[in-house]
Amino acid sequence: MLRYIVTRFALWVPSVLLVMLGVYALAFFGAGDPIKLIFLRAPGDVAYDPVRIEAIRESAGLTKPFIEQFTNYVVHLLSGNFGNSLSSGRSVWAMVSAAAPVSFSLGLCAIVLTAVVAIPLGLIAGLNQNTRLDYTILGSALFLWAIPPYVAGPLLMVGLLLLLPGMSVPYGWGGIFDVRIVLPLIVLSFQPIALIVRQTRAAVIEVLSEDFVRTARAKGVPETLVALKHILRPVLTPVVTQLGLIMITIVNGAIFVELVFGLPGLGRLTVKALTDSDYPVILAITLIGSFLVMLSNLLVDVLYPLLDPRAADSMKGR
Amino acid sequence: MSNTKSDVLSRRSALKLGLGTAVGLTVFGLSARIVMAADGQVLKVAHPAFSQDWSPLRGGGSPYRWNSAWWASPMRFDAEGNIHPYVFASWEPNGDSTVWTFKIDPAAKFSDGSAITAADVKGSWELAAMPATTSQRVAQVLAGVVGYADVTGGSATALSGVATPDDATVVVTLGAPDPIFFMRLANHIAPITKVSQSRGADGNENAGWYMPQNGVIVSGPFKPTSIDLDAGKLVFEPNENFFVAKPKLARIEITSIEDNVTATQLIKSGEFNAHTELVTSTMVQDLGPEFGDGPQIPTSQHFWFNAARAPMDDPKVRQALIMAVDRDGLIKASYPDGPHKKTDQVINSVPGAENSGFEPFPFDPAAAKTALAESTYGGPERLPKLLFVGVSGPAIEAAAQYIAEQWRQNLGITAVDMKPQQDQYAGPDQNAVQIFRDDVGTRVPDAASYLLGSIASTSGNAQGKMGGYKNDAVDAKLAEASTKAAADPARVTLAQEVQKLFRDDWMFIPWYAQTMSRWATAEVKGIDKNLDWQVVAPWDISIG
Repeated sequence: MLRYIVTRFALWVPSVLLVMLGVYALAFFGAGDPIKLIFLRAPGDVAYDPVRIEAIRESAGLTKPFIEQFTNYVVHLLSGNFGNSLSSGRSVWAMVSAAAPVSFSLGLCAIVLTAVVAIPLGLIAGLNQNTRLDYTILGSALFLWAIPPYVAGPLLMVGLLLLLPGMSVPYGWGGIFDVRIVLPLIVLSFQPIALIVRQTRAAVIEVLSEDFVRTARAKGVPETLVALKHILRPVLTPVVTQLGLIMITIVNGAIFVELVFGLPGLGRLTVKALTDSDYPVILAITLIGSFLVMLSNLLVDVLYPLLDPRAADSMKGR
Repeated sequence: MSNTKSDVLSRRSALKLGLGTAVGLTVFGLSARIVMAADGQVLKVAHPAFSQDWSPLRGGGSPYRWNSAWWASPMRFDAEGNIHPYVFASWEPNGDSTVWTFKIDPAAKFSDGSAITAADVKGSWELAAMPATTSQRVAQVLAGVVGYADVTGGSATALSGVATPDDATVVVTLGAPDPIFFMRLANHIAPITKVSQSRGADGNENAGWYMPQNGVIVSGPFKPTSIDLDAGKLVFEPNENFFVAKPKLARIEITSIEDNVTATQLIKSGEFNAHTELVTSTMVQDLGPEFGDGPQIPTSQHFWFNAARAPMDDPKVRQALIMAVDRDGLIKASYPDGPHKKTDQVINSVPGAENSGFEPFPFDPAAAKTALAESTYGGPERLPKLLFVGVSGPAIEAAAQYIAEQWRQNLGITAVDMKPQQDQYAGPDQNAVQIFRDDVGTRVPDAASYLLGSIASTSGNAQGKMGGYKNDAVDAKLAEASTKAAADPARVTLAQEVQKLFRDDWMFIPWYAQTMSRWATAEVKGIDKNLDWQVVAPWDISIG
């Protein structure tokens, strides 16, 4: 297992370098120069003085060739220096290390909520296929799926405030035990719940026709035990994979939810960095994102043998 | 059991005890009331950006709007545009307005109790001019000062045109006469900082010098006690050594809330009582007229034509596009309840703007149609697609869409596109964009300065957004106007003539004159702002 993990990590390094080169090139050639943006986005009374702007770019090291800038960045990165933000001058590490725990906590809570709500619902729907209960669960899941977070967030907030005028606006971050997390968590979990309900239901229906389920029922095993022991376990394997992918999406992409509810996470930081064309911050977030993808896939792979012994055999090459 | 005399509470003792309790409770109650009152004096501001840089030296951006809360400026304008002494108690030009002598108020001091010196003023200006400081507007203040180009170009760190003969005197030498130079200093673009703290040995800004954990020393009425950039939250408390007046507020809390819907809800619910800059079409309906109230400032929003791009290179097309738009409808579509007011001309809220003699562009669909037919394009069919940029935010979108609809109805033009970004379009490398939405204005109540910054061929607006617009007569008259004294009527007359000349070039669709809104609920008093977009007297802000 350790060898497997080390191999995965070794494979991750070149791929992340490639991703960073791509992102750096996109930011460098496509998104616009961060210093020019400061002046171009300012109101009309701010003069666009090319001579001055060049002097500023030079002082920020932005006049060097692309390859030299990227190489410098990677060399600094290898020594643990993420550099400073081009738009604010702040240490990128300080910015990212403050934002990442918020996103991780949020993502983890959303995954737990999703798993707790969606897996039982999917199981119930699958066990009651083509009944009114199944249609209700599936219909609700489709309804949730159709509401994007940037609609659900403001709607829920305004709706809730209209219903409960005395209630304070759920804005800001106070940790996972703060009541303000409830609404963003619900909004964040809408689409994952829908996805997992559908996936669990489909997997349950598939497993229901398996021989071992039929055998268990023929042996007179109680239906609850059949569902929990014989059906749920194989169903969980693809569901866990999906949950891992959802976790990545939430941590990296909870942009609208973080903006609407004022959560100081990576999504909010990403928007700011992209708007300002702030390469060092964009790259640091990319690095964290790709590390997360790697970590999440690794975790899922490690979990597989626990859920399905056949996976352990295949990992050992048997 | 018997009660001895000492055991029993006598009437006198009971009275004493009662009186003592009453006095105690009263004193406690009064002090409790004072504490409660102080606690109530909190300005809670929703800030529309997740600002990661609150350095007061940037000369722009959302944080700039709060510069006056913690920094003092040389002079200051009130809401009516009258200038007042602040750090500088007096100012005196020489005969031709090329050398200015400023005297620092002997009472002026920093929050640590030390005096504000001429060296602090000079050093702060130099720091603002350094290229690495990336100040957006420092040129508006210091461009005329001898040595400015060297500092801002990176070849010097000291302004050779600024001398400090003693701790209380600053002498500024300009490269050319500027009768209104004193007005150019009356803003927070280059605020006065404690240079030993803000500036490093290399002449550049020290990183994070303005953070409370670094013991920032301020010159304004409030000092930051907490700045959490990661959470987007700042807290300011009164500067006990502020030299003008004792601030009335107990605290200012600024919280980043990027989403306008959320911010509006928070203000409606009473959790916040002010906003840095709330721009929505429904602000007045949502939060009441007091929220948007404020003086008109010399800033205006227009849609500028790039005459270097087809079809705007044909004056007849420009004429047709302007005359086809009902501008009364334009303001109703974008700001139906205010706070901004429709305008017909470039300049606003400066001496000479009223009764300027500027003839408003007519709304005449028939004449517009004729003009388009007479153009080299002959009609709407052969026109290239018209592209707007700077269409960001609901009110601007409403205005741009209204214009496009007017063109469709009155001229039959259907190929119109809109984009929010100004970045890749507004610079000298602009591509196919013909129409830029942007504001123009000035930080001094002066019509000539207004036009120099917006339609003179040297202005960024003329060079970029109008595609290198140059009218020699406009330039000549503006050059002449800028040599006249502030009080000379010829300065205003020349500016008015310039506007008329500019009108005949059909270069813009006038939109609105800006109101500098309070962006505060009715309970917030004394939060009037000025043409520098700053609270005039932050020490006078109170709640209720």
